[in-house]
Amino acid sequence: MTKEQIYQDLDEIFQDVFDDESIHVTEATIAADIEDWDSLEHINLVVAIENHFKIKFNMSEVTSMKNVGEMVAIIMERKA
Amino acid sequence: MNHYTFEEIKIGTTANFEYELTKQKMRQFQAITGDINPLHIDLNYAKEKGFKENVVYGMLTSAILSTLAGVYLPGEKSLIHSVEINFLKPVFLSQCPLKIEATVTEKDERFSQITVKYTICNQLAVKVCKGTMKIGFVK
Repeated sequence: MTKEQIYQDLDEIFQDVFDDESIHVTEATIAADIEDWDSLEHINLVVAIENHFKIKFNMSEVTSMKNVGEMVAIIMERKA
Repeated sequence: MNHYTFEEIKIGTTANFEYELTKQKMRQFQAITGDINPLHIDLNYAKEKGFKENVVYGMLTSAILSTLAGVYLPGEKSLIHSVEINFLKPVFLSQCPLKIEATVTEKDERFSQITVKYTICNQLAVKVCKGTMKIGFVK
């Protein structure tokens, strides 16, 4: 799975979770960039990403991911 | 009321209790929600549609899920994240009280969130509602 494919899939997941088709994520995207990205939506987002890519983030990853780029790096590592 | 913390509650922890429904609660629910659908309030209409009684509001049946989380699992520290409800059979007042059975089936340490699976049965032991709740904990 290429990085581009992952970002394409993430766009769809983010758009679905936040109900906003204008969202396009980049490696620099952070929670503050998306108005509804609060702690509860963070759970929904992480679970949606895990279900889509059939992976599981561990606790330290969930708490330490600073932006979408770090999230993508973990996904790529798991899918390699 | 239970006071489980995330650390204290275990996979397999259960709760069982009964939920009485009455004509008065039906009227109160109608007043709160404004749902005047005749299936719930007009006996002749309900019979015309093939039901022997008025059908209890599904959302009144499922309202007990608030108590399931807020009083039983986990109780005081409950913060409901999401609720999935499947309405399996119509509920009639003559078959109440309903019986709720629920079990903690998952704990997600990352989000301090539990998954609770529940079933709601009538007095004939017929399952009328089932589903899943995701519940967090207030600090």
